[in-house]
Amino acid sequence: MTRPRRDPRAERASIQVAGEARPRFDRTARRTGSGRPRRDPRAERAGQRVAAEARPRYDLSQTVRFDAAVITEAQPKAAAAASPKILVLDDPAFLVAVVPDAPGGRLSSHDRQVLGAARALAGREGGVAILTLGACEGVGPAGADRWLPLDAVEGYDPATQAARVAAALTALAPRHILFPESLDGGDLARRVAVRMGEPLFTNAEVVAANGLVRPAKGRRVEQRIAPGLLSTVAPDAVAEYGGPPREARPLPVEAEAPTQGSKRIVSAARVPADPATVPLALAEFVASAGNGITDLDTFRQVVAALRATPGASRVLCDAGLMPRHTQVGASGTVLAATCYFALGISGAPQHLQGVAGCEHVVAVNTDLHAAMIERAGLAIVQDAQAVMPALLKLLVQEAQGTGDETA
Amino acid sequence: MTSLMPLTTVFPGLVWLMAALALVQGLRRAALWRVGAAAPVAWLDGLVKLPKRYLVDVHHVVARDPYASRMHAVVAGGLLAASILTALAILPPIAGFRPYWFVVALAFGVTAVGSLLVGARRYPAKQKRLSAGRFQILPFLLVAYAVGGTATALLLAFGIGGVFAPLALALAAAGGLGLAFEVRHGPMRHAAAGALHLVAHPRPGRFEGRPDTALQPLDLDAPRLGSEMPADFTWNRLLSYDACVSCGRCEIACPAFAAGQPLNPKRLIQDLVAGLSPAEPAYAGNPYPGGRPAQGERGALAGLIGPDARIHPDTLWSCTTCRACVEECPMMIEHVDAVVSLRRHQTLERGALPEKAVGPVTELRQSGDPGGRPLSARTDFAAGVDLPVMADRQQAEVLLWLGEGAYDLRYGRSLRALIRLLREAGVDFAVLGAEERDTGDLARRLGDEATFQALARENIATLQNYRFERIVTADPHALHALRNEYPAMGGRYTVIHHTAFLLELIRAGKLNPVRLPDLSVTYHDPCYLARYNGETEAPRAVLDAIGVSRSEMARSGKRAMCCGGGGGAPVSDIPGERRIPDIRMAQAAETGAGIVAVACPSCTAMLEGVTGRTSEIRDIAELLLQAVEAGR
Amino acid sequence: MTIVVLLSAGRHPVSGAPVLPRMEAQAIRIAASLGEAVGLHAGPDAEAVREALGLGLTRIEHIALPEGLDPVPALSARLAALAPDLVLAGRRSQGGAESGVVPYALAEALDLLLIPDVVAVSGGADTLTLDQSLGRGALRRVSVRGPVLATVHPDAAAPHAYAFGKARRGAVELVGAAATGVDVPQAIVEERPYRRRPKLVKGAPTGGSAAERLKAATGEGGSAAKGRLLVEPDPEEAAREILAHLRQIGVLAGPTKSNS
Repeated sequence: MTRPRRDPRAERASIQVAGEARPRFDRTARRTGSGRPRRDPRAERAGQRVAAEARPRYDLSQTVRFDAAVITEAQPKAAAAASPKILVLDDPAFLVAVVPDAPGGRLSSHDRQVLGAARALAGREGGVAILTLGACEGVGPAGADRWLPLDAVEGYDPATQAARVAAALTALAPRHILFPESLDGGDLARRVAVRMGEPLFTNAEVVAANGLVRPAKGRRVEQRIAPGLLSTVAPDAVAEYGGPPREARPLPVEAEAPTQGSKRIVSAARVPADPATVPLALAEFVASAGNGITDLDTFRQVVAALRATPGASRVLCDAGLMPRHTQVGASGTVLAATCYFALGISGAPQHLQGVAGCEHVVAVNTDLHAAMIERAGLAIVQDAQAVMPALLKLLVQEAQGTGDETA
Repeated sequence: MTSLMPLTTVFPGLVWLMAALALVQGLRRAALWRVGAAAPVAWLDGLVKLPKRYLVDVHHVVARDPYASRMHAVVAGGLLAASILTALAILPPIAGFRPYWFVVALAFGVTAVGSLLVGARRYPAKQKRLSAGRFQILPFLLVAYAVGGTATALLLAFGIGGVFAPLALALAAAGGLGLAFEVRHGPMRHAAAGALHLVAHPRPGRFEGRPDTALQPLDLDAPRLGSEMPADFTWNRLLSYDACVSCGRCEIACPAFAAGQPLNPKRLIQDLVAGLSPAEPAYAGNPYPGGRPAQGERGALAGLIGPDARIHPDTLWSCTTCRACVEECPMMIEHVDAVVSLRRHQTLERGALPEKAVGPVTELRQSGDPGGRPLSARTDFAAGVDLPVMADRQQAEVLLWLGEGAYDLRYGRSLRALIRLLREAGVDFAVLGAEERDTGDLARRLGDEATFQALARENIATLQNYRFERIVTADPHALHALRNEYPAMGGRYTVIHHTAFLLELIRAGKLNPVRLPDLSVTYHDPCYLARYNGETEAPRAVLDAIGVSRSEMARSGKRAMCCGGGGGAPVSDIPGERRIPDIRMAQAAETGAGIVAVACPSCTAMLEGVTGRTSEIRDIAELLLQAVEAGR
Repeated sequence: MTIVVLLSAGRHPVSGAPVLPRMEAQAIRIAASLGEAVGLHAGPDAEAVREALGLGLTRIEHIALPEGLDPVPALSARLAALAPDLVLAGRRSQGGAESGVVPYALAEALDLLLIPDVVAVSGGADTLTLDQSLGRGALRRVSVRGPVLATVHPDAAAPHAYAFGKARRGAVELVGAAATGVDVPQAIVEERPYRRRPKLVKGAPTGGSAAERLKAATGEGGSAAKGRLLVEPDPEEAAREILAHLRQIGVLAGPTKSNS
């Protein structure tokens, strides 16, 4: 349901070969346009045929492999490399502006989703303009027709930054402006909104030309509105732009850049999260020890080498082998990690409740029938005690190996 | 001495002097009770019933330790008899009657034997559960008084005077006056306070043969909520703590103590006693596990709870409110009431709930469920099962109260089994569905009386809309709240536990289970069913009806050990050396039974959570359903 | 130091009961660690925010404001009068539109420095140090001078427990009513029950058929993942598989990244 509806007109327009009097269409572009190669049932069938037999026999399990290959190939980068043809939009009827976070000069996946949303709003006639603070790579392939690189603000000064963005946006006069509803993007959007005196539609989960939808009242209702000037887009709600790369033609910035005025912020410094000490509930990657682990020193070394946050099952905490605050589970900490690496944990129901929110689970356990093995995306039936030293060795080898190459 | 006054007058005079000293010492102590709050006491009724309460109810508990029972009967009986007989001899006609002194000597002799029994418990080495301290000199005082008394009485009986008489009398005086002196701070306080406690007991219902276990509602408009200092307790509660004999039966029964959590009920009561007066001698029993020296101010107005006060908050939150200590206490002390009263102050006045309990209690207050789950999700366990809802029916014979267990994946299985049994038996029942809120049990045990009362009012208002004859529930905690605690809030219902209801259905022939003799089962009594409500027979009768081979754990029935799931202990989660459910499952494993039968969602969850257990956890409804289905 | 905590009438996300938003409860905890704070609420009644009295505030100022009016003018007028050194607010409201614009509007109206998504505040009246959440436990430590408005992030310390007795003793003072005001711009055209939409799965093709997206979803992750299973592999092989898998997920940096 999240897939934007197909717009045959737009698709057709996107494959039109530019700069010719008679409309010509490049139909080869269509494949990449939908983001996936077309299936060839004949070829698939032929691929399944077991060789060297007079009577045709087919190994139907081969299909799985074929599909898997399709999925891995469908990375946006691969698609970009395959078709260098750049789409040019000369005279957009209107602009949809996007102000991405672009941490470190790179678009985040959330930024690309916002560009995808902007593309949906721009439709056939509109153009997508991106405003970046400082340099940014890959804005064209992500779907930007125009690009306004603004000067980055020195240090942490969100107010000045917002003033600059607001000035540039006022000069640009786009029909819609989209921000990512992230920590920084959400902050910037609100600052720009109050500066421009315009209402802001926040956290849109559906972005389409006929309306934006956001959750409200504690996700008990959703509100739909016709797209206004300012909106923020929720993460992981709208698909990225999947079409051919766009021009990203630089636009001159006509607005004068407000200078940094406020001296009220004395200093600002980033304190990166230390995986060893970050609260378990916030950790991104948790490696956890259970009853199957007896050598906790090695476990701690593995955790440090993986740059993971240490966790433990209740049994180890009860026994005093691991500190109580590392306990994962219903009575300990409920995780929101991206990955949970369970070493020697069978997975009691209360423990599984604690990892229910983890996106990926990797489990090492001797018991094939353990619940944790069932839950894991990668499950290894092996003694965790034996796997840990092997992991350590491999990590050390890798570090040394790459050290030699670069030296 | 005899020349000034005859021995026949001096000896009874000694006893009168002892009585006077005891009275003075007792009154000095009693002055401290007067700082407590007022409490309604049915004095006359209590006095009339004192002998029965002592001889029946107290004896029932004391007799669980046959040695202690015999010891106490001999020494207390002898002491009382000998002292009263001697005191009566102040009347000259009696004093002059020589055979009378033989009887007195006999009484003193019995006391002497009893004194030796008392001493044997403490020397050469005292039993582990007993406290040392002043109790260690009790045998010597008793022996001195008894032997001195015997000798004096014999001298009088035989009419011998001379040098022996002053010696014997001096011995008796030393022992006797020592005993009387000890009424204020020493071992003999238990006799005075204990007797008065039986008269002015805060829960007289206990002696009427019905379980008087409901927590007393708190007036939320009172100037101060709960107990912060000794003066916040009612005077008869302060009196009851003085009755403590430091026998340590409670600490043996306490699951938190066994698990190495920082709670020792004896120490807790003794801290309440010691908190009352700076003059109280030092505690000499087993400490709170994880030992922490007593500190902080003492006195009627000194705070009792705090990291730097006499009682650490963790001690308070370790209690599972299982009442095992109350059940074992020969002095009829109500430990759980004390714990809840102290918790009430912590929660209501200071907002000092244990960190992990804040979430569940907040959700309970804001959304009517400790997990913050939608009330409509309570019936999700019954997806695909036809579950009649009261809102559609308006009336039903039986209202099935689902309780918090309904949200639990594992317990949903038990409830589905129960629902299928009700269908099988053709019972006209319905549930409240999304209208059912938590009974407030968790909030109340954790001291949040305000939330409990709010939830109780809402539930009572909901129940008022429907017509039903009885409430059946599989959750003993809900049963206790609805049956025993809602009446004080204005809701009176006939509430019956599912095991009792299933037994009824079997006996009425509506359920026809076959026998499953291959199953070996041991039944774990839920505290809130067995101890709080005295129901131990129905679950066992159901098990016997399906013919399983049933064995009993060493601790069962009203003396069963808690699973650790009550009183908010799982959400407070105070660390200990072991876990209570692990201990309980080890006890179950000793029976060799393959199945541990349970009858409570908390027990199910706690015992299921034991890692490396060898036996299955099955609700009685699940076992009965298996037997019924096997018969088809 | 004068501290004001902005309070709003929230609704419980599940039950819909009137409650104090959790982030404001967290703000009260932060305020309590710095000194005496006063609550400020503008709305039709103060019943929902009364809860704040049980969480550590002793006094709440209530500006009576009819339903549907923009609270910003009334709040900014009162804040200008109070001249606080620190104003704390939740980053989003709870139970309404949840757009989180009011603190920004107040900062704009009062020309206050606004620091968003704060998890901890320390320091005194002169210089305040605010720890700002950057997600996943990373922080930005910002030192500021002068009055500041900070919004509180959910990763701040959990709120204190509610104490019924304290709530009973605390006071809600009516500090004037804003009879006139500006309506909140009502541009919402349609409101209907929330429909949960599936989250996008990373690495899934943007187009593609439903079957392919499903396959991508179940092959890559998700709670219903049918994972890869290796039975009794060589420990070295297991280690290689694990590292490869962790890198594919993206939680472990590639071997070439180190030592460059």
